[in-house]
Amino acid sequence: MRKPYQICLLLLVGCFVPGIVSAQSPTAQGGGSFMLQCPTTTAYHPTVYPAGAGEPAYTGPSPLSVTVGGVTFSAAANADHQHPPYISNGGQIKCQEISGGDGMMTEADGNQTYMFSFGPLSGIDNIQHGLPGTLLNTDFNNPCQLNGTGPVVNCYYNNPMLPSVCGPAAPASCPTAGAAGISGNAAITDPTYDPSKPINLNAGVRDPATMITLGVLNGNIPAPLMAFDEDDEFFLTLSNVGMIMRPDLFEQHTVHFHGYPNASSYYDGVPDASWAINIGGSATYYYLAPDAGTYFWHCHITPPEHLQMGMVGQLYVRPRQNRVPQDGTTLYHSLQLQQNDLRTACNTTSATNQDLLCSVPMPLSDNGVQHINDSFGQPTKYAYNDGDGSTAYDIDVPIQIHGFDPNFHFVGMTFNPEGFADMKDKYFLLNGRSYPDTVGIPGYAGGPTVAAATAAGSPDVASNAIGTEDTDGRTRFSQPLPTLITLKQGQKALLRIADLDVTEYQTLASLGIPMKVIGFQAKLLRDQAGNNMYVTTNSITVGGGESLDVILDSTGIPPGTYFLYTPNLDHLSNGPENFGGLMTEVVVQ
Amino acid sequence: MNDLKNSNTRIVVTRLVAVLVVAAALLLAGGAQAATPGINGTGPAGAPVFNLDAAANYISQPDGAQIYSWGYGCAAGFAPTFAPAVFTTLHLGVCSNMQVPGPTLIVKEGDVVTVNLTNNLPVGAGNTSIVFQGFQVCAGTITAGVCNANSGVAGLLTREAPPCPASTPACTTNTVSYTFVATTPGTRAYYSGTQLDLQIEMGLYGAIVVLPNTVPTGCKALGNDTGQKLGIGNTGDDFRLAPSAYDHPETCYDREYLFQFMELDPRIHTQAEAQVRAIATCVASASNICPTSLSVKTEPYHPTYFLINGRSMPDDMDVDYSPNYPHQPYNGNPHMHPGDLTLLRTIGQGRWEHPFHQHGNHVRILARDGNLILSQNDTQTPPRLGGRMEFTTDTYPGQSYDGIFYWSGKGLGWDIYGHAPGILGNPTCTPDVNGYDTSAAAVAAGNYYEWCQDHNHPLETNPVGQVGGGGPVTQFDPQIATNGLWYNGSPYLGPDAVNRSAGPTPQPPGRATQNPQPESGIAFMWHSHNEREITTNDLFPGGMLMMMLVDPPVWFIDETL
Repeated sequence: MRKPYQICLLLLVGCFVPGIVSAQSPTAQGGGSFMLQCPTTTAYHPTVYPAGAGEPAYTGPSPLSVTVGGVTFSAAANADHQHPPYISNGGQIKCQEISGGDGMMTEADGNQTYMFSFGPLSGIDNIQHGLPGTLLNTDFNNPCQLNGTGPVVNCYYNNPMLPSVCGPAAPASCPTAGAAGISGNAAITDPTYDPSKPINLNAGVRDPATMITLGVLNGNIPAPLMAFDEDDEFFLTLSNVGMIMRPDLFEQHTVHFHGYPNASSYYDGVPDASWAINIGGSATYYYLAPDAGTYFWHCHITPPEHLQMGMVGQLYVRPRQNRVPQDGTTLYHSLQLQQNDLRTACNTTSATNQDLLCSVPMPLSDNGVQHINDSFGQPTKYAYNDGDGSTAYDIDVPIQIHGFDPNFHFVGMTFNPEGFADMKDKYFLLNGRSYPDTVGIPGYAGGPTVAAATAAGSPDVASNAIGTEDTDGRTRFSQPLPTLITLKQGQKALLRIADLDVTEYQTLASLGIPMKVIGFQAKLLRDQAGNNMYVTTNSITVGGGESLDVILDSTGIPPGTYFLYTPNLDHLSNGPENFGGLMTEVVVQ
Repeated sequence: MNDLKNSNTRIVVTRLVAVLVVAAALLLAGGAQAATPGINGTGPAGAPVFNLDAAANYISQPDGAQIYSWGYGCAAGFAPTFAPAVFTTLHLGVCSNMQVPGPTLIVKEGDVVTVNLTNNLPVGAGNTSIVFQGFQVCAGTITAGVCNANSGVAGLLTREAPPCPASTPACTTNTVSYTFVATTPGTRAYYSGTQLDLQIEMGLYGAIVVLPNTVPTGCKALGNDTGQKLGIGNTGDDFRLAPSAYDHPETCYDREYLFQFMELDPRIHTQAEAQVRAIATCVASASNICPTSLSVKTEPYHPTYFLINGRSMPDDMDVDYSPNYPHQPYNGNPHMHPGDLTLLRTIGQGRWEHPFHQHGNHVRILARDGNLILSQNDTQTPPRLGGRMEFTTDTYPGQSYDGIFYWSGKGLGWDIYGHAPGILGNPTCTPDVNGYDTSAAAVAAGNYYEWCQDHNHPLETNPVGQVGGGGPVTQFDPQIATNGLWYNGSPYLGPDAVNRSAGPTPQPPGRATQNPQPESGIAFMWHSHNEREITTNDLFPGGMLMMMLVDPPVWFIDETL
């Protein structure tokens, strides 16, 4: 029987329709194909928060009166059912910027590995220090007066020394300026640097030349960390800077927010179902943050290839319970307030008014817990809107489980096709590193000092980042995130575990400290009646594309060093070294 | 060096075939759908009988491979009716004697089910059998409640159907009979209980669906489901097997699909085929002793095909009972309207786990292996649901789950229909108690189950066509993006919205072939997140992958097309 594609073979030219659209759009972004978006205000967030502003308190839903596109949506009335008010639950506008391209990393046995990867183009300094690259819009746009006078304009990123890893503190380590061909010296290397603007290493990069200069070969593993709060609006700009090591490829890249509830197809990042940005262009993804939880993100172009090659990042949404005012309000009452907005409600009590997939049902009863301070003297953080305080923790520990097949990466760096069925991971990574790099190597912050961060595989003394010397001779810090967990006795760590492995399931076990699994795939473990379904265990198993939340409670745990490691014993290896792999340390002080 | 050369040769082949796979997808009829097609037993009410056989034939894969396989099918003379009933006239009247997966057996809770199995496997394959996970099976006859396990011949896990002796190839002794009570509702696996590492790999597996006895309060009776009846040209058909999955009001559903996951190592099939042929063609002589049984190596296991209902993408999105796949009748091609509670019946039939990622929303796990998971210590009767919500559902070897998925667009912050006030004919959105418009007016206006809180709230900063501006985002220049085959060309749902946003908003080349303009749904990929499993023998895309479409209420989802 002749299959459709066999017929198509005869008509090959007619069947292969090019996917690039040629219609010009007068209303789309103009002025070049690289472009940022991070608005100052929106309908949901009409208030400008100053740079560095904290999170506004959550006090329940309140309808807004706003005019949008010339149409007034009144808080008071929607009698014609055509003008529903925008309902505010707080939150802010947050922005982040990333490049899609390539880069190099160093395995724990010293093997330099080529990646397809995302790199940071905002929060660059934060990312290098293992923090999220997500910024309040005001911080992202970096408003300033040029030379300290005149009107306030958005100044964005400004740095006299490229690439970013040098920073103003170490200009001597910046003899040249990267793959984009800017030759330079220690005096000044960045032609886009404007001395009239203040130095800001975290703000978004708007200038296309700077995007390219920073973005080429700047890929990270894990991809830049994203974290924001429920009710935020999030603007994520992806600029495709191309893969300079593979000029034969014309790869698009996308961002898929994995597990996002009720996602739109348009911003879901699946190229077959929507669009994908070409090399040399930017596109901005727009998301609200409806439900707290541990998600993750990755490129969705040819997933078995682009995920294996390293385009995988972490993403979590913090609950509005973190924003409950410390005024005697109980967490239970706060969760009751959420029932007043149908978007945030979770009613399971009525057969006619329930949602099988709603985020968090009310707990069984009001235990009276209020929003007290944590061990750092700061308002306590929670993993979910639990309403009973049972997901409180002291430190966030994003943990990405991944695996690299060195053969696949070698083929990916050269010009051969990769075989998918034969894919076999040999490096097993926690946050892009195998043990002992998961806890640090000499030269680490707090470890033995090294003179300058220039050699291949060298760490940055000012952060915990590991760099790799790229093919242009420059060292870029591509592995910013250690997984050394340090707890003072009595503190709790929230392990936000996401598995992006593309070939097999992975188990992570805890020696000595019990693991309390409180969330699974971005949902609190609670049945519809309100019983917490937490599971205490000493190991968890996750497949590719799964996440879960574990609390490590060091209460009563004697000081010492404990291990998180995989009992998949063949995953305790670093390529040819029969040592290391998927393992890290927990230090209780 | 030689390896390198071979690799370089393969790059051409790979890229070419990749193009062809895409081209094949282009040529598929847009809008094929699925449901849970299967067969009913014959016999009196409450005591259905299924006469199955096990036989050899070939299944096809999208890389052109014809893979020798064994499968269950309808035995000679067995003429079951088909379910849902609407498939009866559309399946070409054929219940194949060999199919992969085997026929989906549809029974009711409490039925006394009899399955008679005839072993028509080739000479040398040996005995075969069926085990039914989750049931107390009698391999024989039940008399006054006592099982007389006298059917077939003895086996390890169950009694088995022997092959006919070589001397009498048309024997009547090659059968075994199983009887059991379908005690509780749910989706469960059945598969060979004989030499499982070989026989299941060869294709001897299938599903049995037990429908609940009662219609729980609040469920929509068959033929009376708004989600099913939406759309222009609907025929009033109901493609569900039942109003609910279990005897529980939270298991009502509007739409259902069955997915059986399996991996396949073609080397095992090649060995089996060669050995079967060698046995069949061997001429014994004094100097030549013929082999009489298979000796197929099933380790090391190295699968290169990853199947949903016996097919790989894009074949899985072709229609049920397509004549292109005479031995793979079932597809995997989910569609739904916003708000449709969609029941996913899923079985891991192979030896590997498959983390299956449903884009678009979470899945509420109702049950595993037919065991409904309920809340502990509930004050309500019956207790409410207790199963987890998962965006990547695990399927373990031999295990099934039933789960409910839906997509509503709730909480996007912008109007998924691109509505704008002041446009002639722009509908209202009157929220029900949950915030959706489920009124008769919404059915008429084509925005049934719209999330009203975002009604008329714009996405885009600049007005586009008749879609209003003032929203948060400015679109990228359409010149610098590449569009997908399932992309309707806009952020919005439905042909009306796509039309109204036409103009500056990019339209895909020649429109979306897999999601054409009259449909204009929004597509989500559902796929294995062990991502190498979305390949077909090293070719991407393929394997365990399908595109789920959320169709606008104006589009009738005909599951038989």
